[in-house]
Amino acid sequence: MAAISPQHTFDGDIFSRPLQTTDANLFAITAPDYKAFIPANSLRRISRLLKMGLTAAMQCMQHSGLGAPGAIITGTGKGSLQDTERFIKDIRQYEERALNPTPFIQSTYNAVNGMIAVQQQITSYNNTFVHRGFSFESALLDSMLQLQEGASHTLTGAFDEISDEHYYIKSHLGYWKKEMVNSAELYNHLSPGTICGEGAVFFTLTAAPSAQSYARVAGLRMLYKPTLEALTAGLSAFMEEKELSAKDIDLVITGRNGDSNFEHFYQQVSLAFPGTCQLPFKHLCGEYETAGAFALWLGAQLIKAQQAPQQWFPMVQRLPATMQRILIYNHFFGEQHAFILLERA
Amino acid sequence: MAERVFITGMGMITAIGDTVAANFSSLQQQQSGLGFTSYIDTIYKDILPVAAVKHSTAALSEMAGIIAGPAYTRTTLLGLLAMQEALQQAGIRDLQQEPAGFINASTVGGMCDTEKVYFDIIDREKKGDFLQYVDTLDCADCTQRIADKVGFSAYITTISTACSSSANALMYGARLVKQGLLRRVVCGGTEALTRFTLNGFNSLKNVDKRPCRPFDQQRNGLNLGEGAAYLVLESESLARENNSRILAELTGYCNTNEAFHPTAPSPEGDGAYTAMKTALAMSGRSTGEVQYVNVHGTATLNNDISEGKALERLFGAQVPPFSSTKPFTGHTLAAAGAIEAIYAVLAIQHQVIFPNLNFTEQMEELSITPETRLLEAPVETVISNSFGFGGNNASLVISKYER
Repeated sequence: MAAISPQHTFDGDIFSRPLQTTDANLFAITAPDYKAFIPANSLRRISRLLKMGLTAAMQCMQHSGLGAPGAIITGTGKGSLQDTERFIKDIRQYEERALNPTPFIQSTYNAVNGMIAVQQQITSYNNTFVHRGFSFESALLDSMLQLQEGASHTLTGAFDEISDEHYYIKSHLGYWKKEMVNSAELYNHLSPGTICGEGAVFFTLTAAPSAQSYARVAGLRMLYKPTLEALTAGLSAFMEEKELSAKDIDLVITGRNGDSNFEHFYQQVSLAFPGTCQLPFKHLCGEYETAGAFALWLGAQLIKAQQAPQQWFPMVQRLPATMQRILIYNHFFGEQHAFILLERA
Repeated sequence: MAERVFITGMGMITAIGDTVAANFSSLQQQQSGLGFTSYIDTIYKDILPVAAVKHSTAALSEMAGIIAGPAYTRTTLLGLLAMQEALQQAGIRDLQQEPAGFINASTVGGMCDTEKVYFDIIDREKKGDFLQYVDTLDCADCTQRIADKVGFSAYITTISTACSSSANALMYGARLVKQGLLRRVVCGGTEALTRFTLNGFNSLKNVDKRPCRPFDQQRNGLNLGEGAAYLVLESESLARENNSRILAELTGYCNTNEAFHPTAPSPEGDGAYTAMKTALAMSGRSTGEVQYVNVHGTATLNNDISEGKALERLFGAQVPPFSSTKPFTGHTLAAAGAIEAIYAVLAIQHQVIFPNLNFTEQMEELSITPETRLLEAPVETVISNSFGFGGNNASLVISKYER
């Protein structure tokens, strides 16, 4: 696994790094040293999201040590915003003449996948999902299908960036809080909107467990625009299919984000797990389309280490002593909901 | 054993017709949809030919039964019209009757409308109707509006792998069916012409000022087009239970990456070769059983060499009749794979091979030439190719239905 996020998640020991916070309602990533992963001549040419995506993918492949994956599958809600914005502006500024094609090429949603393939000479299956809060989850489902179909391992990831301009555009939809809230205090400020984030997270998923495995993805269920009743029914069906009851879940990682418009969904799911520890994560990474990938990374870290970075969770009184099973529940502004079940490998 | 995947409904709209039947009629009459457009605001509107759907966005809205309401982009409306036809043709009146998936494909989402108001949207001094477009820039907007209008709820998602997007949507949908996650899934893509994309391809010097000439020595690039197409895929068990009308079978597919260059294929067509070869092997058909290849054939300098080489490598001296239908529809990017998959089904249904328009001179690098006539011939197995930016290659094998 590899994660670039607003926290110090990319290198070093996450259990000893301090909690990063922001007062800006916009949580930017802590950038790693890209030079170690991308040759200097490419580094100058490629834009921010491509650096994030490519670097996280490289680190993930190096850590797994497994060589060429049988598939590269990613999700992104927005692709390279910086390039899209730049090309729109270039068209206007230069009145459609003598345009530099680079931002156009890099704005294509599958640009990161293409770069990973070229850089690592990987000719196998390659796919990119671009559906808001289902982008990463669809990539995960496709990866699970690939493993079923015989791939030994896949490189599966997600990436999204935010720009000031796009932050403003999405403010029209009521995505962000009007008042400035410190990220560490996010859950104490239930009001319309949340704080914005970004990140790039990659996983190596294998068909068979190994000593290196973090956790097992034991289930995945997506629900599109469910009512509260449909959400409850979907969760019950998922638990039944896995032959689990509430007490089998040691920890629920919840996508709560302080947004009063959609808090009721999280409350509804929390009702199904009375007494189970609930761990929020949006104060670490902010809200974005593929934040579910960060949640999976976090859950996998926790289940492997059987502990959480305490400094990240001052709001949680007591974490479970052992974590055999973690359920992740997240949704993107009430529309795309997903459950991911993680088990100890 | 994994279930067979059948095509049980199709719907489309392109520059050569508003329905599948209208498309077939234009293909038979060899009527190209290329011309000049007034729907995009560009200095190239009288210079670079495009294949526009021949209706204004307001007219499309009326055709789709959308009366006023929030912003339905041209991308959404094209998709909605194709979707309505596909569901109707498959005889699906209620999408809740069987959990159904919707796998859509898009390259730039609602850019066609967003680009017209983008600078108003980001201007903090401005307020107005244009704000209804703030949520239409991404690729999910069109998918969700189509899904909500016709009633998909079990599973929806969107794929974007440039020019191979909807071929990958079909492939992903077929895999969901084969692994038993869904028994019915509607797959395809939608694409509207945009100033953004036209300038993108033009900046790459990939756009011909004349109607495109696939596989011709004098070819000089592609023409862009717009349209949408969806195919209803059903598992064998559902098709039998439901007594569905089976139009054809999706027997093989392969997605492979060129790993060569962000916007160009390898000169020997390694990716195209592997994609076709693997898809054909999956279908259980031999090269000798392929009667028609609907090639990607964009008429860019690189694509046609690389794809042509791949055909020669795969089929040796017996390359079957092949043609690019891009001179009819233009290159419709995310919709191309699904549009051409429907043409493959039409070829099988009507036992006909479509002509490659605008061809006169054989390419010096190749020993093969495309089919230029409307050819009546037995067609039981067709390969359909879609290749794109980022080295994304996809090949589909579509076969005549046999019990």
